[in-house]
Amino acid sequence: MQHKKKAVLLSIIPGMGQLYNKQWLKGICLIILALAYGFIFADLLNIGLWGMVTLGTEVPRDNSVFLLAQGILAIIVVALGIGVYYFNLRDAYKTGQRRDEKLPLYSLKEQYFNLIEQGYPYLVSGPALLLLIFSVIFPILFSFSLAFTNYNLYNSPPANLFSWVGFDTFVQIFTVDIWRTTFIDVLSWTIIWTLVATTLQVSIGIFLAVVVNQKDLRFKKLIRTILVLPWAVPGFVTILIFAGLFNETFGAINLEILSALGIDSIPWLTNPFWTRVALILIQGWLGFPYVFIVTTGVLQSIPDDLYEAAIIDGASAIQKFKNITLPLIFISISPIIITQYTFNFNNFNIIYLFNGGGPAVAGSNAGGTDILVSWIYSLTMTSSQYALAAALTILLSIFVITIALWQFRRTKSFKGVN
Amino acid sequence: MKSKFYLISSGVLINAILLGCGPGESDSEESVAPENSEGATLVLWEDIDKSVGTEAAITAFEEEHDVTVEVIERPYGDNVEDLRLDGPGGTGPDVFAMPHDSIGTAVTEGLIKPLDVNQEVQDMYTESAMLSQMVDGEVYGLPYAVETTLLYYNRDLVDEENLPTTLDEWYEFSENITGDGTYGFLALWDQIYYAQSIIGGYGGYIFAQDDEGNYDVEDIGLNNEGAIEAAEYIQKFYSEGLFPSGIVGEQGINVLDSLFSEGKAAAVISGPWNLGPYEQAGIDYGVVPLPKLSNGEPMSSFVGVKSYNVSSYSEHPELAQELVLWLTNEENQLTRYENTQEVPAIKALEDNSVITESDSTQAIFEQSGNSVLMPGIPEMSEVWTPADSALQTIATDSAEPKEALDGAVEAIRNQIEANHSGN
Repeated sequence: MQHKKKAVLLSIIPGMGQLYNKQWLKGICLIILALAYGFIFADLLNIGLWGMVTLGTEVPRDNSVFLLAQGILAIIVVALGIGVYYFNLRDAYKTGQRRDEKLPLYSLKEQYFNLIEQGYPYLVSGPALLLLIFSVIFPILFSFSLAFTNYNLYNSPPANLFSWVGFDTFVQIFTVDIWRTTFIDVLSWTIIWTLVATTLQVSIGIFLAVVVNQKDLRFKKLIRTILVLPWAVPGFVTILIFAGLFNETFGAINLEILSALGIDSIPWLTNPFWTRVALILIQGWLGFPYVFIVTTGVLQSIPDDLYEAAIIDGASAIQKFKNITLPLIFISISPIIITQYTFNFNNFNIIYLFNGGGPAVAGSNAGGTDILVSWIYSLTMTSSQYALAAALTILLSIFVITIALWQFRRTKSFKGVN
Repeated sequence: MKSKFYLISSGVLINAILLGCGPGESDSEESVAPENSEGATLVLWEDIDKSVGTEAAITAFEEEHDVTVEVIERPYGDNVEDLRLDGPGGTGPDVFAMPHDSIGTAVTEGLIKPLDVNQEVQDMYTESAMLSQMVDGEVYGLPYAVETTLLYYNRDLVDEENLPTTLDEWYEFSENITGDGTYGFLALWDQIYYAQSIIGGYGGYIFAQDDEGNYDVEDIGLNNEGAIEAAEYIQKFYSEGLFPSGIVGEQGINVLDSLFSEGKAAAVISGPWNLGPYEQAGIDYGVVPLPKLSNGEPMSSFVGVKSYNVSSYSEHPELAQELVLWLTNEENQLTRYENTQEVPAIKALEDNSVITESDSTQAIFEQSGNSVLMPGIPEMSEVWTPADSALQTIATDSAEPKEALDGAVEAIRNQIEANHSGN
């Protein structure tokens, strides 16, 4: 039998293949690692995997939430274990292969240098990856799993257990009348909100940046400083102040500004349409400075000779803007624009702080300006519909991720264009 | 062929693993060791800034039982929420304060333990306060304070001798005084918490209640004749401009508070939590129970009860129960009242001179006689949003009262069916 096959077979018990290949230290390390793994994680794997499947069988001993968390941890640990195990098999195989080919085996020192040279990126990013697994992947997996359970008030631990229900919750969203109509209402407003509010803030930002960047404009620094101010004030403070300004009877906007213009009071907070308008305007105010700063940076890096050449060719100001400035801006900041869109899609603060998702709309269980996130929030906090909220979160993520991916693939800025 | 083999063998393997897995069946009856509480530590989650009220009582308790009580002040409304994770995590309290309207939820989830309280002790507390702690005939906690809404009036704007006593009189009063940024009588009747005062007085109700305090969630009385009459009455205040539309909605409560604090409103309906803030704002105010309705009935209001409850995760449940009993007895509630101004839930204290001295406390006692308990069942959480929405659309005149209330009841029913049935 070839060495490589023998080594792999022996490596079914981790480390044995390495010992067979006379790599003593590595073999012993792997054996110890395997023993330690079994010893330390036995309990977690036992309870975790069992809990993952059953989500508990007895109250009050079992708590489904904790079993689910342990189960996910167990799966992560198993995945890591399989990773190491695969390495063990592969290593035995490779070394066996070298023996079959009568090549000299790597000495310990050579293996060490191999590891440092080829594996350096992995070695350095390893701890960060581990951290990422537990701080990002784990919570995502957890809330993802919740969507496939029936976790709500009546199945809450410690008095009760929840269990796996597969896609039931998703089916409910689209079949139960009250959920479906509300979902569609909320989703359509979320989309309108995202498109209009973000486009507004981006256009204002770019427009102002271009205007302020004109050569013969004086006091540029002062103007820029003033324009960045809305960004310098914490967003929630601004939103709360605006909520006061937009108050129908006492707010300055109706009382001072509109009445001076001879316009009747507008029901900013009690009419869904006007609340939406107000929200979009406020988001324009909050969002433009960032785009403004970034665009200003891009404008300053556009070489003057492009414009000089254009002037020689007899281009008008509009042509210069359309054919030189705008394309260059978009190439540089399109990733930023995309993140602005996804940010607004989930812009919880402004919706929640301005009018709590209100005003109320007859016959709907979400408010007139509730976007998906704020609706999910109220489902979780007031109705304890955890599974439903998790399912909606998945739908929402799918939506955002698809759009972001599609956009990222379309833009050239990630491809290192010259 | 090969893949099939792998599939089957891995299936067998997984099954084999799972069968041997898990904690197994637990022993049917674990022998309960007698509780050894000496030297134990109890954790008490107290309301913010309120531990001054229980300091003395806790010291006495510690000495008598030879235990340590660790008091942690936190917003008491969040306690149930936090117990969900802190309890099983081992960092939760043994005893904690909570508002009674989350008792139904806490019991459904099994977060709080039933207490063993004899009838004699139960009779000590005011009836509605005690009722708030009962779920299916079991006692889940003991009340230490009650609160309800009151009428605050500004002595500089209202003639105290001729204080309007009915809502109709307040309406006329408002008609005369409203203008130039000054308002007469204001209330947040676009919220069911406050609007219930009128709806209840006209015969509307949220859930029908039997004699033992059980709620029938099928029977919602928010769109019966009385409720519609009440809503029409409410709408009048808004459509006549007596209530500015600026106090409608999410920010309304802030506007109302600042109007009264700036002396721009003659009278408002608010809760005892504003006794301090209004005083700090320098308003010379008086407090009375809510006025009478035009049908001669007193205005109703919601009673909120604050109670001490024992966590299911407590390792010393008996001791924890002792602590609850001790903190909520007559003497300690009186001490608490003297330090925190929280109105006690003890019957016998009603005539106590310390209590009768204070107008506001007197008013709360009187008003709670006309009040109903805020339902503490889980279904109540489905009522707030639709009911508030309907009232808001009524206040802004974007819907007819009947239509709006019918819609709200429909929505409540739907939500109860969606969230609270078939489990």
